[in-house]
Amino acid sequence: MRRPAAALAALVLAAGTVAACGSDGAPDGPHLAVSGAYVKEPPMPDMAAGYFTIANTGGAADTLTGVTSDIAGHATVHTTKPNGAMAEAGPLAVPAGGRLVLQTGGYHVMLMELKRKPKTGETVTFTLRFATSSPITVQAPVRPASYRPER
Amino acid sequence: MPARFPRTVPARLAVAAAAVALTASACGGTAAESRPAAAATATPSAGPSGSAIRLDRPLPKPELTLTDDRGRSFDLVERTAGKPVLMYFGYTHCPDVCPTTMADIANAVKELPEAEQRKLQVIFVTTDPARDTPKRLHAWLAAFDSRFIGLSGDFAAIQKAARGLGIAVEKPVKTAGGDYEVTHGAQVLAFSPSDDKVHLIYTSGTTSRQYAADLPKIIGGTA
Repeated sequence: MRRPAAALAALVLAAGTVAACGSDGAPDGPHLAVSGAYVKEPPMPDMAAGYFTIANTGGAADTLTGVTSDIAGHATVHTTKPNGAMAEAGPLAVPAGGRLVLQTGGYHVMLMELKRKPKTGETVTFTLRFATSSPITVQAPVRPASYRPER
Repeated sequence: MPARFPRTVPARLAVAAAAVALTASACGGTAAESRPAAAATATPSAGPSGSAIRLDRPLPKPELTLTDDRGRSFDLVERTAGKPVLMYFGYTHCPDVCPTTMADIANAVKELPEAEQRKLQVIFVTTDPARDTPKRLHAWLAAFDSRFIGLSGDFAAIQKAARGLGIAVEKPVKTAGGDYEVTHGAQVLAFSPSDDKVHLIYTSGTTSRQYAADLPKIIGGTA
């Protein structure tokens, strides 16, 4: 008996969400796609940096609220400030019709408490969580430290 | 107004000043982008490519004695006199820009003939001496090139030397969240073997190809 009740509650919640979107007049919500994910092979086994681009082709903005990875006990999005200091970035917006780009010198996922040192040629998993969209899991190849994505 | 400038001011200085101003404003852009609201509207440009800034007034090498990555005392002026030097101020708990910069330099160095490789001194000065012990610097640099020299020591001395070279580094602070906030320079300084002064400054994002093209001239003292 419990299960149907839970399902019903979920359905009501979902309906509520849809109604909220409808009242905004947005034809659809955010539609996200993640590309170009990679991790730079680090010099030491204690930390590494990861990058990706999130494109939003939907009609509403979304927010990247968190990232986890199979190789890291702890992952946060950091940004490199102009003075070279790194700071943890807050939730990052993925605008409707826009992109959020993580790249060297800007935003990057700082992977800490590594379970193993990622080596070039291996693959790492990132799971990205959002305010609206469902979590997205991507495979990120490990690249040499000097790797520069083609744009 | 330009007519009132003394005629002795070389045009190149103005160009260099403009380049520095451009760099500064580019950095300002990064600051704006670091705010989520700005990031939402900005489509960040493709990984910014770095460039070399030529100084019309070359900067002298600072007096600086630190400990190298093998635990020995290292007098910068004495040990590098008459040698081509690339110098970078960074720290090892930096997963993004610092290892990228060192990897780009290392890849360029690998393209040089062995004799040239031996002439060049690549020096990494830590801005986080409390955590960057000689041992840790040694292990970190070995991932790029075991000949690279890591220097650690008194933070105030490092900061003073950096300041003299136009690089602002701040004392590492531990944030409320338990994170460390450490600064690193965005530039790589190239000292000429002809006069031991900095003639070229490479901005962040300079590729290994750019370094590879310039290193023979830097090593030969003709850059």
